[in-house]
Amino acid sequence: MEDDYYSIDSILAENQKIQCTFKVSVPDMGHLDGGNERDIKAQSKVQVPLWMAYILIYSDYADFTIPTSFSARVRSALNAEPRSVRLSNLVGQGGMWYGFGRMIMHLLNDDAAKEMSDLLVKTFRGRLPEVIDQAQHFASIHASTADSGVGGGALGGDHAAMAFREGLDGTERELFALTQASTRSTKRWYEASDRGRRS
Amino acid sequence: MALPAPLRASVTPTELELIASEQLVEIVPLVAMERTAFISGAYGPLRPPSKCKVPIWMATNLKLKKKCRIVPPDWLNVEFLEERLVQETTGESFSEMPFRFAEVAKVLIDTAPDDFPNPDKIRSLLKDIREARQAKSREGLSKLDHSELSLPNLCSMEINEIRPFFIRAMGVLIDIIKDAQPQQDIA
Repeated sequence: MEDDYYSIDSILAENQKIQCTFKVSVPDMGHLDGGNERDIKAQSKVQVPLWMAYILIYSDYADFTIPTSFSARVRSALNAEPRSVRLSNLVGQGGMWYGFGRMIMHLLNDDAAKEMSDLLVKTFRGRLPEVIDQAQHFASIHASTADSGVGGGALGGDHAAMAFREGLDGTERELFALTQASTRSTKRWYEASDRGRRS
Repeated sequence: MALPAPLRASVTPTELELIASEQLVEIVPLVAMERTAFISGAYGPLRPPSKCKVPIWMATNLKLKKKCRIVPPDWLNVEFLEERLVQETTGESFSEMPFRFAEVAKVLIDTAPDDFPNPDKIRSLLKDIREARQAKSREGLSKLDHSELSLPNLCSMEINEIRPFFIRAMGVLIDIIKDAQPQQDIA
């Protein structure tokens, strides 16, 4: 998620469209909007990728509107219960909701940026324990089924937990995988017997 | 990077066990041996029936050949662990345990269960302690902060288990907290 030029996460986070309102007319650039128009006229609204939006916004060619991933509706849902919002639906499968939010945050001015940061932090904090809990839970299920030779048939959990897992954004998925791997290897070590290996 | 992701942030539990096996433990040798030089140092002489301090790797090796008895460390017995379990379940903070207690306890009990008065009881106490401590580190997760984390008396195996996702989560927090680091100019 960092600003590193080579960071894949950063590239993925930039791969989101944002709606910009052009302040000036741009000739011969109508194809950006995918339409048949030849030119972009002033005051027209165009969805452009975030990586292109920077230069347009900083050069004062366009204004942007807060994308729907962070709309007032999403905000109030997150304020009410961060765990019940499906972040992956907001940015597409495997999308980086936090990364996207962070880039929007850098485009905003002080107060709005602060508000955005608070929203991201509050959401992340609210969801983190659930992410880790589920990952640890899954690690222990997998470890024990792998030992007894039974396939992953006993998976599932209740419906709410599954919905939450499906709603994880890319960053949370990464955390989930990290937690699962470390819990699993630790658990395996605790359960393995030492005698065979040493004698 | 060539290493799989889970190995980048942390060492494996087996590697920790290897490190812990350098610690010294008391044994009662059943064979005599002159002082012998190893790469990690010189140990011995072994003169039965007097006690001697050797590294755990050597003690387990001798034990499996039935050439010594292991003297349990003073913290690895039912009374001590019961007392710690009470502390663990009543107090808020982690109780004070030897830094590598999980590794040492597992290796010793696995290789020399007959040298402990009540190995099954010790095993189940260790498991209870571990679970109580896990619940606490989970608590620490909800208080996670972008700049610091204070979980005193956490032992090496526990640190190793939580390290990958704690640092990643803290990394995310650094990224999304405004002014957690000097603002960089994107344009």
